[in-house]
Amino acid sequence: MSSQTPTVASTESRHVGKEEILAARSVTMRFGGLVAVDNVDFTVHSGEIVGLIGPNGAGKTTFFNCLTGLYKPTSGEVRFSGQVLPPKPRSVVVAGMARTFQNIRLFPNMTALENVMVGRYCRTSAMALTSILRGPKYRREEEATRARAVELLDYVGMKGQGGHLARNLPYGDQRRLEIARALATDPKLLLLDEPTAGMNPQETRQAEELIFKIRDSGLAIVVIEHDMRFIFNLCDRVLCLVRGKTLIEGTAAEVQSDPRVIEAYIGSPDSDDEASGSDVATEGEAGNA
Amino acid sequence: MNVPTIVTPELQKRFHVPGRIAALAGGLLLAASAYLPWAYDGDALDNMAFLGGPSTLQFLGALLGLLLAVSAGMAWVEPWADRKGILPRLLMVSRRAGWTRGTKALGVGLLGFIAVVLIAIALELGGLVTIEYGGWVALAGALLGFVGSRLLTPGRAPSLEKVKTPAWLEIVSIAVLLLVALLLAAYALNQNDGGTFLSILAFIGALVAFILRVGAGGWLSAAGQRHRNVLVFSSFAVAFLFPFTQNGSDANMSIATQVLIFAATAVGLNIVVGLAGLLDLGYIAFLGAGAFTAATMSQSAFATIGWKPPFIVVMLIAGLVSATLGLIIGSPTLRVSGDYLAIVTLAFGEIFRISMSNLDGSDGPDLVHGSSGIPAIPNLNLFGFDFGKVHTVLGIPLGRFSNYFFLMLLIMALIVLVFTRLNHSRIGRGWVAIREDEKAAEAMGVNVFGLKLLAFAGGAFLAGLAGAVKAHVDQSVTPDQYIFLESAFLLAAVVLGGMGTVMGVLLGAALLKLVPEKLRFVNEYRMLIFGLLMVLMMRFRPEGMIPNQRRVLEFHSDDEELVEEIEEDLPYEFAEEH
Amino acid sequence: MTYYLDQLLNGLSLGSLYALIAVGYTVVYGIVQLINFAHGEIFMIGAFGALSTWIVLSWVTGGSTAWWNLPLMLVGGMIVAVLTAVLMERFAYRPLRNAPRLAPLITAIGISIFLQEFVRLFYGQIPGFPDAKAAIPFPQLEFFTGPAIDVGGLQVHRGNFFVMAALLICWIFLWWFVNRTATGRAMQAVSQDPDTSRLMGIDVDRIIVVAFAVGASLAAVAGLASGLRYGNIDFKMGFLAGLKAFTAAVLGGIGNINGAVVGGLTLGVVEAMATTLIPGQFGGPAWKDVWAFVLLILILVFRPQGLLGAKVVDRA
Repeated sequence: MSSQTPTVASTESRHVGKEEILAARSVTMRFGGLVAVDNVDFTVHSGEIVGLIGPNGAGKTTFFNCLTGLYKPTSGEVRFSGQVLPPKPRSVVVAGMARTFQNIRLFPNMTALENVMVGRYCRTSAMALTSILRGPKYRREEEATRARAVELLDYVGMKGQGGHLARNLPYGDQRRLEIARALATDPKLLLLDEPTAGMNPQETRQAEELIFKIRDSGLAIVVIEHDMRFIFNLCDRVLCLVRGKTLIEGTAAEVQSDPRVIEAYIGSPDSDDEASGSDVATEGEAGNA
Repeated sequence: MNVPTIVTPELQKRFHVPGRIAALAGGLLLAASAYLPWAYDGDALDNMAFLGGPSTLQFLGALLGLLLAVSAGMAWVEPWADRKGILPRLLMVSRRAGWTRGTKALGVGLLGFIAVVLIAIALELGGLVTIEYGGWVALAGALLGFVGSRLLTPGRAPSLEKVKTPAWLEIVSIAVLLLVALLLAAYALNQNDGGTFLSILAFIGALVAFILRVGAGGWLSAAGQRHRNVLVFSSFAVAFLFPFTQNGSDANMSIATQVLIFAATAVGLNIVVGLAGLLDLGYIAFLGAGAFTAATMSQSAFATIGWKPPFIVVMLIAGLVSATLGLIIGSPTLRVSGDYLAIVTLAFGEIFRISMSNLDGSDGPDLVHGSSGIPAIPNLNLFGFDFGKVHTVLGIPLGRFSNYFFLMLLIMALIVLVFTRLNHSRIGRGWVAIREDEKAAEAMGVNVFGLKLLAFAGGAFLAGLAGAVKAHVDQSVTPDQYIFLESAFLLAAVVLGGMGTVMGVLLGAALLKLVPEKLRFVNEYRMLIFGLLMVLMMRFRPEGMIPNQRRVLEFHSDDEELVEEIEEDLPYEFAEEH
Repeated sequence: MTYYLDQLLNGLSLGSLYALIAVGYTVVYGIVQLINFAHGEIFMIGAFGALSTWIVLSWVTGGSTAWWNLPLMLVGGMIVAVLTAVLMERFAYRPLRNAPRLAPLITAIGISIFLQEFVRLFYGQIPGFPDAKAAIPFPQLEFFTGPAIDVGGLQVHRGNFFVMAALLICWIFLWWFVNRTATGRAMQAVSQDPDTSRLMGIDVDRIIVVAFAVGASLAAVAGLASGLRYGNIDFKMGFLAGLKAFTAAVLGGIGNINGAVVGGLTLGVVEAMATTLIPGQFGGPAWKDVWAFVLLILILVFRPQGLLGAKVVDRA
């Protein structure tokens, strides 16, 4: 069993991983006449956190969906660990890429623990006959699944919450549960779609710590986020999309200081919201920094 | 039960003492009336014309009356017993029971029971004049009890399940309860008189309502969960004993066997509908495929396939043929879901039926003789055991249908095993995930298509097994046994009983098959009633009589209070945290 | 050649019948995304309503089969069908609008069985009405039935003419209703976005009722036409016809009114042709329903949006 228990942060891990995990080459996605993603190149190396930013409607989530097999790109290719993946969400997960959703998509009437156990589905093998006969191997696997799920709940800071129905969890916990469920698939690359949307400053800080913890355990992470403070705190590299095209790609510092990025946001109709959103975050961060 | 609120809480506050007295007196009056003649003539129901000698039904009525009196009186007994300090443990238990709630439920149930009995007497003998004074006394008692119980405030909620009981007591209770159920079922089945049968159903209904409202239901289900194996094992033991209560009468065993075949198929359908959440409107085709396969390979002179393997092999082939059909029917699930899938299955079911009718030699190859089907299928002979003969065990003759009953019981056990084990496994979790959010499940690596196919093929395989036996029980197989209405009927059993539970479907299937058998006038109206029942169930209780708690959550997603309540005490079907 | 033209015409008239019923599935689906599985029974009820009207009339007229019976029968059938459909919507479907998808579908099957049985058991109990447990002969009105008409060497059954003409008129009427009346435009709005429509002051509940009523009226027309074409009606007629009409609606693209018409005609022709063009034992009329259902499954699997495109493709 390829259970990779997230280990305690090692200071080296940030610099070790230079192996290319994900490589998207000139990905284009068209819906009828609309070009949602236009010729975007994108690479992720192991052990790094890459941010994906851009004003609303820039095609971030569409690009995400192309990466995770929900959409088949109109042209271009996505390689994961050197392999071209079939555009099926399941094969993508099996290959080692897991995601969360912008609007939380937990299984509402399952408990938190069961949600995480579903994440183990693709790493376990008991089929119909084994499940009916219940031999020792089946029991061992089921026990391991449960133990791993409990462990993961603990890891994301939800110790003892496993018995609650997902629908009844507070918002922040639902986001964390989604991450735990994604981690249960033993990914090499984790894609987070707005992991702090709707969170208060304290929850945002916790999420940030969690993401660092995950990165330090050796996973590569791609984050879509609107909260600029969050992105620039977190990411090694940032890709900014505007109207489906790459505006700029570089280190957090480079992107942060690029006037075109600011222009893209100011120019967008909902720039006020974005600005105030990051202001709140800034206040929250102040005490921490 | 929502009785209109004529009796307001204010009224209850003012009159609860007279109410309690009335309920108590009504119960006692009813119990006493059992010793008076209820009917003018002994022909009605089970001879209620005697003075001083209660018939069984009268006795059952008296039992309910006493129960009403006791549960109404408990409120006074409790403090009294406290003062004297006797039986403190029993008192602790009594304090946790919802006696007043039980009284209110029983008040309604009792009135219903008496009403059914009296109406049946009047119908069978011709007019209200045929009801003797004892009957009117009983009605007065029931009315008094009803009005009295309405005047009571509901009182505390029961919490009997929190009582600590020794394991042996729980096990014994389960066993006793099942035995009582067996005897009641045997007694009810032996009634050839529709009125008596209906009265017994009313009695059972009143009793069950009382038990549930008092809180014993909670205790029982908790006990059942603690001793699941005992419960399952003794259920099958009791079912196994059933033929021995029939004294060799084949009439009831024939019904029982048909019920069992129907129930087994319905549980199979419940894997598809209840667990995987796929609506299959052509499920009867799988039963048919199994039956036709077994028939064409049987020893019948009309069988069209020359190869005659032993029945075990035939059964497996029948299952595999059905499973293959299941795979074919399930394959569109890759691209089709929801309502469209239901229509696809319906179309497949029709294709199966029409094709079978056409395979008659003139419109197609002569495989099943078209609409006349394959008759004269001989009885099974397994390992030297002739299913057609009467075997005597412990002096009790067990006829042809009893033999098939035992065989079907084995198949039922297999189906229940498959159902429950799959439900509580990795696969069951996958099915729930698909039901909850198919896209998210796929994105989390759940093999959605594979699991849906598995549900279709697995369910079909089990139906195929049942079909193979059915061919021999019925002795002939014709296409018109496998029409859409039968699929709808199976679905009604699942919906009525409860999607995703075994007990619910067993109950649903038993009711749906038994009631029309026993009540002639219902038989004519059965499809009308069941159509209406499906509509009403979806409207008022979509989760069924014995629901799966997760299904309750799914159907009542906007009822926050209910959700909290279920979460507080998550039942067995959820994976609990150790 | 004449034979094939004959079959073509036969197919077109059969298809017109399917199309008239299919409109009911499509209109309701377009507005509430509900497959009203019981719609086939509305067709059956429409036919019985028309028959009942004639029976009541015959008490006065002494069983006249003059042509002027037709409009009265049509109105009678429509009233009964619309009433049934509206009651059905109000009491069975409306309470389930936010329920899981399984619930309305099971309800629909329940209604379907209930209506069939209701007619079978109780129709004959009304004094003066025939027993509905077996097929009932439908009055053969003069002018609309009778000897076939000779069109350039083709013998055309008058019932066939009536169905095709009825479809044409209904189609034109529908086009006018949907595009030229305020209610019709409100229907279009609701079908695109019910929530916004509600905010714009459209009474969505009323629009849904209208959709059910429009579908039921056309089904009643089809019921009457079916009676004239086949010469008898029975309580089971709605099941198969409903399923076929649903096939037609999907074939054309469910939610799309023109699609229902095109789909109905296509299905009718395919069915008629399948019995003649498929060789061997599997080509006979005994297999035509099988081929229709095979077509249904193939469309659902490979082109669920239908020939003309459906409003909603994702049916998850």
